[in-house]
Amino acid sequence: MSESTESSSDEGDSQRVLYKNRPEWQDITPLKQDDGDYPVVAIDYTLEFQDCFDYFRAIVHKKEYSERALELTQTAASYNAANFTVWQYRREILKALDKDLHEELKYIEKVILKQTKNYQVWHHRKVLVEWLKDPSKEKYFTEKALSKDAKNYHAWQHRQWVIKTFDLFDGELDYVEQLLKDDVKNNSAWNQRYFVVNNTTGFTEDVLSREIQFTLEKILELQDNESAWNYLRGLLLHDKTGLSRNKTVTEFCESLYKDGSRSPFLLALIVDMCSERAAEDGAGDGNNLYTVARAMELCNSLATNYDTIRAKYWEYTAETIEKQSKGEVVDEASSSTN
Amino acid sequence: MGSFPKIAFEKELHRKYLNRFLHGQIPSYLANMDTTRSVLMYFCIAGLDILNEIDHIPQERKDQMIEWVYSLQVSNNKELVSGFQGSTTMNTREVPSNEMPYEWGHIATTYSCLLTLLILEDDLSRVNRKEIIRSLKALQLEDGSFTAAIQGAESDMRFVFCAASISYILNDWSGIDVDKMVEFILKSISYDGGIGQGPNLESHCGSTFCAIASLSLSDNLHRLSSQQFLNLRRWLLLRLDTGFNGRPNKPTDTCYSFWTGGALKILEAYQFIDSEQNPNFVLMTQDKYGGFSKWVNSTADPMHTYFGLAGLSLMDYGGLNEMFPKLNCTRRVHERLVILHTQWK
Repeated sequence: MSESTESSSDEGDSQRVLYKNRPEWQDITPLKQDDGDYPVVAIDYTLEFQDCFDYFRAIVHKKEYSERALELTQTAASYNAANFTVWQYRREILKALDKDLHEELKYIEKVILKQTKNYQVWHHRKVLVEWLKDPSKEKYFTEKALSKDAKNYHAWQHRQWVIKTFDLFDGELDYVEQLLKDDVKNNSAWNQRYFVVNNTTGFTEDVLSREIQFTLEKILELQDNESAWNYLRGLLLHDKTGLSRNKTVTEFCESLYKDGSRSPFLLALIVDMCSERAAEDGAGDGNNLYTVARAMELCNSLATNYDTIRAKYWEYTAETIEKQSKGEVVDEASSSTN
Repeated sequence: MGSFPKIAFEKELHRKYLNRFLHGQIPSYLANMDTTRSVLMYFCIAGLDILNEIDHIPQERKDQMIEWVYSLQVSNNKELVSGFQGSTTMNTREVPSNEMPYEWGHIATTYSCLLTLLILEDDLSRVNRKEIIRSLKALQLEDGSFTAAIQGAESDMRFVFCAASISYILNDWSGIDVDKMVEFILKSISYDGGIGQGPNLESHCGSTFCAIASLSLSDNLHRLSSQQFLNLRRWLLLRLDTGFNGRPNKPTDTCYSFWTGGALKILEAYQFIDSEQNPNFVLMTQDKYGGFSKWVNSTADPMHTYFGLAGLSLMDYGGLNEMFPKLNCTRRVHERLVILHTQWK
């Protein structure tokens, strides 16, 4: 649910004079809302809310683009910043009056920082940046929002859009690295890392080994971190030899396992390595560590010890791998695909 | 697996809670929900449907509610703005409805209103079906995604789902370039196997549900490769902690018992989880005055109440009406819709 509206001096508050008592609005006949004879989910609007929207309807109907209309939209937004009509109308007024859009950026910044999970206010900002073709404040601004909640989806979405649209990838990996230092479990930061690499250098051999090294170090910091393991899998998608033939990764996994780690993410990755080999013809080379038997054993220990809430899934996975190794058709749902 | 203390499922309190929102006066501090009142109504009505309470609403009140929903329908046939508005905010007796600027349908509220009408046993005969589908066409963007309204709205996977659902409900896919839609969905699959609100964005159970449901509603699940299919299942199954979360390393939250659970159902993987904690987590988010909240010890709201009930129904808990996950409604409502479709032919 969106956050409740907070009032503040710059957005007006209870001391505001009602529009019906303002001399500069005397020429306007307010238009009452028609909620039908039998309203549903009725809101007990305050007098101020009603007053504001009575004049809002009237001025919209007149299609008036004026300073007073602009001021009114600000009041309306302070009561309900999720009203996308208010913002649409406000943008049209801004255009018609040729207003200073940098001032508008400052205003919307304050509004967003008070309700960082409201779609409409982020959209307003995006349109302003598009109009201005000036993304210079966006990185710093989204960092402010992310300093309150480092996983705020809206902020990341806006930031990615700005970075991609205006080619602002420089320095982004450093920012991501800082966020991962603060919280190695920040999945949004991992996602951003992938976004940056994928859209800049791409996963060349050098980049791939650098990223693998980086990720393995992070896993050593905290083994039970799904985000880091997921990133590692994402990296291996770019390894032409597949999941199970990257020596750095396999040696790392085997050494973790030998040292007693039974992180479900580690075990799951080894299971997938085994599954990959099982699907290959001839089941691979002689000293293959990634056998069907091992997959079965690991699935079994996941089911009984290390990931019991998904026991049935691991049992099913074991069955699937076994069938696959015997060349049988597997999984009614996926066999029809691909 | 340890055993957990049984927490009572306060059905009666939830019924009262949803009815208070529907028929009472919502406190003024929630005025920021003004523009999405129809979505709020949908959560309440759909929640009551899961509780099997629709038959207990007097017919007179049902009719009134149906009228209110139809008062949101945009009857402008000149511009591509057909659909339902989110609220009566721009309605006024002094101005004929198609003379008020910005009286535009919104894709999310059109979806909510159509489902609400169906649950209330309306036959959709007054729905401007052709115009809604024609307007839908104007909302699809070059990349295959959808924006929510003719102007002034953002675009993402939520609205792809709304577009697919509207097409499914109205049994007319001519408003969507389905290939483009599928392409957008496939491009939004992340390196970790889940699906984001768009390409490059972080995987999220809300967007993953929307994406998978859209594929399923449009009969395109087979467009996922078997590897994508398996990865999606894995990623979704890993969302189960004490309850479901919406992203890796995020706290569990009541609403994901539906988003994640529903996506797992569509991918036929829900049977792989077996956890007493899962219903227990949802029950722990019950408010003592009725309703469910996001987390334990926080305030209830209709959205989390609906998704809490929907999530419990997916768990086959508490004798609730069974869900039809991909349309986010109960099976019985879907059965009625299928009958309507045969009547339209």
